[in-house]
Amino acid sequence: MRAGEVCEPYPVVTTGTPALEAARLMARDRLPGLIVTSPDGTPRAVLPASEVVRFIVPDYVQADPTLAGVIGEIAADRIAERLANVTVGDLLPKRPAELPVLKADDTLLELAAVMARLRSPLCAVVDGGRIVGVVTASRLLELACGDPRS
Amino acid sequence: MMIVAIVVFTVVYVLIASERVNRVAAALTGAGVILAVGVIGPDDAFFSQETGIDWNVIFLLFGMMVIVGVLRQTGIFEYVAIWAAKRARGRPFQVMALLCLITALASAALDNVTTVLLIAPVTLLVCEKIGVRPVPFLIAEALASNIGGTATLVGDPPNLIVASKSGLGFNDFLVNLAPIVIVMLVAFVALSRFLFRKDFTADPAQVAEVMKLDEREAIQDRPLLVRSLLVLGLVLAGFTLHSVLHLEPSVVALLGAGLLVALSGLPPQTYLVDIEWETLLFFAGLFMLVGSLVKTGVIGHVATALVTVTGDSVPVAMMVLLWGSAVLSAVVDNIPFVATMTPVVDQLVSGNGAFAGQNGLWWALLLGADLGGNATAIGASANVVVAGIAKKSGHPISFWEFTRYGSVVALVTLAIATPYLLLRY
Repeated sequence: MRAGEVCEPYPVVTTGTPALEAARLMARDRLPGLIVTSPDGTPRAVLPASEVVRFIVPDYVQADPTLAGVIGEIAADRIAERLANVTVGDLLPKRPAELPVLKADDTLLELAAVMARLRSPLCAVVDGGRIVGVVTASRLLELACGDPRS
Repeated sequence: MMIVAIVVFTVVYVLIASERVNRVAAALTGAGVILAVGVIGPDDAFFSQETGIDWNVIFLLFGMMVIVGVLRQTGIFEYVAIWAAKRARGRPFQVMALLCLITALASAALDNVTTVLLIAPVTLLVCEKIGVRPVPFLIAEALASNIGGTATLVGDPPNLIVASKSGLGFNDFLVNLAPIVIVMLVAFVALSRFLFRKDFTADPAQVAEVMKLDEREAIQDRPLLVRSLLVLGLVLAGFTLHSVLHLEPSVVALLGAGLLVALSGLPPQTYLVDIEWETLLFFAGLFMLVGSLVKTGVIGHVATALVTVTGDSVPVAMMVLLWGSAVLSAVVDNIPFVATMTPVVDQLVSGNGAFAGQNGLWWALLLGADLGGNATAIGASANVVVAGIAKKSGHPISFWEFTRYGSVVALVTLAIATPYLLLRY
């Protein structure tokens, strides 16, 4: 199997997309992350859902996890307010990381190797510089291990 | 050999001050050179009390780091800080005053860096809740930790170095430094009301948010907290009962660390994370470098020069040490400075020295070095750590913003120390 044959259509956001909109998109479709592109459609980064979760945890709680418990339930329920007024670009690391991008003719093992090395929950498949689809980690495992229902 | 020792020491000192090379690398390389050239031998470096590594200091630091490593797992610092903020009913100045007093007290019993590392995240939380800028609070806490740490033998690394060399005990520090430090803290809190006056405007609606924080949730493991406080109490008692038990502070700290580790049942990686191996190695390298200056007679010449400059006058010598140490500690790390000056002062106050028995010189050196560190953003480790936390949380503290407040506090506290030294000693 080749990456081009197994990739699926996938939502894409740009660096200027409001962070809250991106987070809601992930929540609605239970996505492990999103592909972030430049306005011209070139892949720019992968935004894992875990990175969005990390962003909504205040810095002081990341420095001292004990503090998570002292904040009351009502205030804790409002943690997503931190996503207001920021864009997807603000959630990305300051230093650009290597992109999990593969060519359409790459194999499943090459796909798995890139995901494993970059610890990415998804991988974009490009052809001629344009994204033709995405392979998620769960899709990869389904293809590699087979569907237990079949 | 004297020239070699001076050259190597100067190069290492410049490298440390310039921060171009990691300070551990600079100190250990320098120590390696003086050992390789033969300025000092292995016996001088590892087994001599006069010229070698001061193992009392190394193991006292190590023991206290282990104790802190266990203690921080309990959540006691977070509990106390939130309790204080609620006690102040979220009023900004009262919150700052209480957090500074807690920081100072904790810094006197533990080390400054750990204290600000623990108190800073709670401060960010409280400031967010009451809607004030956290920068003044963080700066005030760094300053308070340096003042509080001055009070005891274990409060600041320079105090450990002097204690080991001078033979002054935990109670000597309490009797001679703690009273004036209390006066300084009162003055500092009053001064903070003026210095940070523009930053005490809180949103009354948000202040109520502080009252909703539940400090009891911070206590993760109540039995561990009880055991930790018991052992810390025993360690502090061991320090104060030195004349009865005849146990060196390093031995007391190691016994306490061992007992706490055994009682806590925590896996080693939990508390070993807090061991600052870099600091311990830095001390080791530094002691060897200073040892080379002692062995080659450089320290003796410096001591003679100091006597000449001060004209055999104890008050003049104290003022030179106090203000000279303060100025140098504001711009360079006070640890290498005090490590270098300790054998100098030791020669002056020892049996046949020019100022025999005048312990005021020790206190002048420590007050200058500890309080001078407050003057600039790079003057003390706690300042650097706080600046790092502030930057990471999106509230950067510029060098000049810190220095603007720190220099005033350093000047005021040194001005308080001046008549104290002159009148008491």
